[in-house]
Amino acid sequence: MEKVIIIRYAEIHLKGKNRGWFERVFVVNMEKSLKGLKHEIRRHSGRYLIENFEESETENILERLKKVFGIHSYSVALKVCADMDAIFKAAQAVCGMEGKFKVNTHRADKRFPLNSMQISAEIGGRLLDCNGNIKVDVHNPDFIIDIDLRENGTALVFNEFFKGAGGMPVGTSGKGMLLISGGIDSPVAGHMIAKRGMSIDCVHFHSYPYTNMQAREKVIELTKRLSSYTCGAKLNIVSVTHIQEEIHKKCNGDYMVTLLRRFMMRIAEKIAIDSGAQCLITGESLAQVASQTVEGMTSSNSVLKTLTVLRPLCGFDKDEIIERSRAIGTYETSIEPYEDCCTVFLPKHPVTRPKLSDVIAEEEKLDVNVLVDEALKTLETLIL
Amino acid sequence: MIYLDNAATSKPLMQCVENAEKYLLREYYNPSALYAEGYNLHLELKEARRKILSFIADESNFSLTFTSGGTEADNQAIFCGGKRGNIVTTLGEHSAVFSSAEELKQRGTEVRFANLNSDGSVNTEHLLSLIDDKTSLVSVIHVNNETGAINDIFKISEKVKNKNKYALFHSDGVQAFGKIAFKLTKNIDLYSVSAHKIGGLKGCGALIKRKNLVIKPFIFGGGQEQGLRSGTENVFAIKCFGDASENAYERINESYEKVKRLNDVLRSLLDRDIFKILSYEEASPYILAVSAIGLRGETILHEADDNGLIIGTGAACSSNAKKRFSRVVLACGADEKTADGVLRLSFSSENTMSEIKTAAEILNNIVKNRLNIMA
Repeated sequence: MEKVIIIRYAEIHLKGKNRGWFERVFVVNMEKSLKGLKHEIRRHSGRYLIENFEESETENILERLKKVFGIHSYSVALKVCADMDAIFKAAQAVCGMEGKFKVNTHRADKRFPLNSMQISAEIGGRLLDCNGNIKVDVHNPDFIIDIDLRENGTALVFNEFFKGAGGMPVGTSGKGMLLISGGIDSPVAGHMIAKRGMSIDCVHFHSYPYTNMQAREKVIELTKRLSSYTCGAKLNIVSVTHIQEEIHKKCNGDYMVTLLRRFMMRIAEKIAIDSGAQCLITGESLAQVASQTVEGMTSSNSVLKTLTVLRPLCGFDKDEIIERSRAIGTYETSIEPYEDCCTVFLPKHPVTRPKLSDVIAEEEKLDVNVLVDEALKTLETLIL
Repeated sequence: MIYLDNAATSKPLMQCVENAEKYLLREYYNPSALYAEGYNLHLELKEARRKILSFIADESNFSLTFTSGGTEADNQAIFCGGKRGNIVTTLGEHSAVFSSAEELKQRGTEVRFANLNSDGSVNTEHLLSLIDDKTSLVSVIHVNNETGAINDIFKISEKVKNKNKYALFHSDGVQAFGKIAFKLTKNIDLYSVSAHKIGGLKGCGALIKRKNLVIKPFIFGGGQEQGLRSGTENVFAIKCFGDASENAYERINESYEKVKRLNDVLRSLLDRDIFKILSYEEASPYILAVSAIGLRGETILHEADDNGLIIGTGAACSSNAKKRFSRVVLACGADEKTADGVLRLSFSSENTMSEIKTAAEILNNIVKNRLNIMA
């Protein structure tokens, strides 16, 4: 009787001729997430089995699998040879001590002499004989014992389904550049897009000496957390101090955030294109703060030459974002009290509905290309 | 690198490095052990205890308990001294006392905070007005850690005792010990000191207590330090504390005079058009608080660091505006703009006049430049 983990994938089965590619990426991602732990991953008719791992590492493996996108559900099972006595022993091992239960059998091996109903009845009956504290209830069971008879003469017996992270394997939907600030929203936005199969790299803007090294450490930590879902991520760090100083000096201060965001978009687009990313991702949520209005978004979109912007949080309330942030484990880091660059030179009355023509008029007071090139010279890239 | 953040921590004495080899590689025994090797260390602790105490108190009237630092000593004083009725402290306390008092408040004890004068010293009249029959503890910082203002704890404690002779009087002496000359008087019941502000190591301090006073321990366990502070003593750090105290007190007046000159020169060289000097002339010369009004202290701290000058700010950085401003400077009556630009320059006798001149130049340049950018 061997302990194995059954992995069922999410949407990949809907894919057509390119399904093989999706599956290969999926396996590579699982391998990356289990790096350093002894295991073998085998494909097993429409699902995967993780075998030959140390039993003491089971929890650790399950914890890591939780973060692999593309997994619909997984179960810890006992693998035995397809023999009624062996199946019964396995069923006994996973059976609860009391309560109502039912046995579900899935018989892929049609050569097996009993059909699935007969197997369920036989195993259920034997379990009842051994334990007076359990009874059968096929409509409202407290627990279900699943028996999966495979074509290769083995049977998998288990009693639990864990929900996987869902989505598509990271790397199957291209690559995006996430603008990460250090706040609550951007890591959640990155996580949501990664869930749909996109690889994520990040770009962070700082305003040293107006912001500090702790703020930078915080963003590194957030990117690391995010990278545990995305099988690694690069973090690009760029200083926008001089840009902010120039805006402060030459432009109407109320446009500080609007103009700064346009610069961020330009810089992010350049870095994205250089690193092979096909879109930008931001954590903006409609109407959350002064700059996150549709006019503000139009203003920042209009500087982009080729890339599109994904804003997955646009329809979310703050408390919904916080809930997701807690679930993915970035919240505690996000709320550390270090300032990010957006709060430096913050105007008292920021423009909330900037007219594009006014923004462009303000921006004309600056030497945009020189400032962007200068900022790009401060680029530092960390692989996390 | 010019180091002007000595009130945060000081460079350890060379003797500490020499002690390290002895106590970490050879004399690593437990000082409570019964064999000779342990007992010998116990004697060394006893000698360090005697020595440190002798510099500021009459050993027949005071005892000393080693702790993990000034913060623990303050916590023990507040939590073990302020059990009933109300406690009275000041708005100018270090967070080790201030936050402990706030916690005590959360736990149901009434806590009263006395206002400050504009220099950061406590308003004694207001402090006394807060004391009544039910006051169990009064805590007043000796030298304010942000402005350097000196509270005359000897006079204040006398007045406190005249008002309520049963109230315990505690003082946080972390920025006073080894820097200004004084002797503890009978009205002072508890006094906290720290090693690393005077050339000792971090993680070591002491609570000095009037001998007849009975207080409860803050940390329980094996009963070390006469049962007042359980946990195996850090012999190495304590030995360094003894050496650092000896070094400080051997030349306390000489160091004071030297630092006073450094402080005076820096005051005179800082451009008064851009800096507001917050520390009064009468303050401890070891601390000089100034404000670059209109700028954020932390911004200047980073730029100074990039230019080879290490300084402190009034309070820890925070994006929360209320927390960002120095609590103490606000309590002195300064506006938020002043409180936001606070820099704390703090000296040791190792600083040189040429360092001070360079520091003034760096600070003047940075602030002028930054003000131009921000204008």
